[in-house]
Amino acid sequence: MRAEIERFLYLEARLLDERRFEEWMNLFAEDGWYWVPAAPDQKDPYDGVSIFFDDRRIMKTRLERLDHPRIHSQKPASRTMHALSNIEIDEEHGEEGEVLVRSNLTMFEFRLDKQTVYGGRCRHSLRIRDGGGFEIAWKRVDLVNCDGVFETLSVPF
Amino acid sequence: MRGEPAMAALDDRALRGLVESDRVHRDFYTSPAVFELEMERIFGRAWLIVGHASQVPEPGDFVTATLCRHPVIMSRHADGEVHLMFNRCAHRGAQVCTEPRGNARRFECPYHGWVYETDGRHAGAPYPKRYASGFLKGGEFDLAKVPRMAVYRGFVFGCLSADGPGLDEFLGPMKSHIDAMVDRAPDGEVEACAGTFRYRFGANWKIQMENQNDLYHPMFTHASTTARDGTQFRRHGAEDDEAGRVRLLKENEALNEQWEELAIGGHRYGHTYMERFPMDRGQSGPVHERYRAAMEASYGERAAEAMAVKHHNSIFYPQWSIQYLTQHIRVMNPVSVDCTENVIIPLKLKGAPEEMWRAALRSNNNSHSPSGMVMSDDMEVWIRCQRGLASPGREWVVFARGMNEERIDNAGSFEGRGTSEANARHQHAAWLDYMCGEA
Ligand code: FES
Ligand SMILES: [Fe+2]
Repeated sequence: MRAEIERFLYLEARLLDERRFEEWMNLFAEDGWYWVPAAPDQKDPYDGVSIFFDDRRIMKTRLERLDHPRIHSQKPASRTMHALSNIEIDEEHGEEGEVLVRSNLTMFEFRLDKQTVYGGRCRHSLRIRDGGGFEIAWKRVDLVNCDGVFETLSVPF
Repeated sequence: MRGEPAMAALDDRALRGLVESDRVHRDFYTSPAVFELEMERIFGRAWLIVGHASQVPEPGDFVTATLCRHPVIMSRHADGEVHLMFNRCAHRGAQVCTEPRGNARRFECPYHGWVYETDGRHAGAPYPKRYASGFLKGGEFDLAKVPRMAVYRGFVFGCLSADGPGLDEFLGPMKSHIDAMVDRAPDGEVEACAGTFRYRFGANWKIQMENQNDLYHPMFTHASTTARDGTQFRRHGAEDDEAGRVRLLKENEALNEQWEELAIGGHRYGHTYMERFPMDRGQSGPVHERYRAAMEASYGERAAEAMAVKHHNSIFYPQWSIQYLTQHIRVMNPVSVDCTENVIIPLKLKGAPEEMWRAALRSNNNSHSPSGMVMSDDMEVWIRCQRGLASPGREWVVFARGMNEERIDNAGSFEGRGTSEANARHQHAAWLDYMCGEA
């Protein structure tokens, strides 16, 4: 199980780094969501604003935009490297039919002569598919600088 | 100041030379000396917004903020009043408070332990005996107050200058633009209870100012947010709400000429606005009906008028704006000649259905977060302007679109239309007034 989970998460990271955004989105369940809070320890996405709070529909809009020929904020495109570590499977807190996985994320982003490093704690709730394998029921990334001052973000964490 | 020979020569004549009726010189955006003077003559005199009183609802609540590069504390004292003071110990200058927000019984300086009440009054220094008797008495060592503070409908303003127009006069007809936002709440109050977004971009503050009412740019800058049918993604959130889709283009990718019909305009002191997009029509559905009912209960016959969104945005020169569609205020703090920091503060309409608030939050996330699909392309073009303007060879920036079409009255107000650059020209005229001594 652990090996399978790691394989899945590394694939996810690689799809983002290779800008295969549609394939990335398809890792999510139809009712899945992706959340990056703008405050530490936020309990509910409706308690306040979020850096990302995307259901599949918003995700699609956002990712289609990343492929748009006139997305100025991605000219030139960012190059990223997502690295995952400290992977822990939380046996106690998973929801029915799902496994809760905690990990630490480091993301390097390089664009226009500037390199930026982001760090955060991730939680993936992975739903076990009927035929085997996983889909992401939800993914939450708590950035260490979530309430800090940002420059433009385009690529998901 | 990187070698600024013009510094000494920045007299009125030099300043006036930077702004002509239909163009401005690139030094207007790139000269550190001009920037320093702006901080003194514009930001040092205008009423600047700090935030909203609902950010500090309880006695002892405080937030730290920036007022024209100066660190300040906005707090609510035991007496229920909001206070605005500089975040600087009266002893040797340390910031007494570094948390972005919190609740304090008193502020205690970390350096030598001087203590202040939450209204800024000096409440004691440890081991006072070594001071001459009576030295610490008499309020001389309170936290310095921002020279003037005023509140309008919950919005808290500070002014760094002890004299000049009062807030009432400064806002003038723009007060109705604040009312238009706040009156949309059935309880007649808005609440800043959703936190903030903060971001920073490498461009002069005026480039953003000139952009916010610029109807000429959306179809190009925001091309990547436009679907094949010419509509932008749902700005009202994720709900099935066609009304929330802004039509930037016609289906054949041509300019939607409805843009040219939009009213734009401005008032004294450089404030400007533009009408709400005609394609952003009123809402319908069960949630809206509940909202209407709540509004009718509060406002009676005035309900329809109070509910209407009249403007897309209103800019209060030189430092903040109201965005009606996404329901937030944008505070724009200059950091340096080529860097600006924004704080986005979403506002909840008290008494309105929770679903409306959720949609507003999602709308803010989608368009105005640091990853926002609208803001990121705006910031990109502002940064590119700043970089482009570093080039010599062409000294002027052109604002001639729709020249002389606007109707100007004697009170310093004007009305214009569509993709004209009249609003930027109005800001430039205010800039001259501030910088050359007439404001
Ligand atoms: S600087 Fe604050 S107590 Fe000395
Ligand atoms: Fe824009």
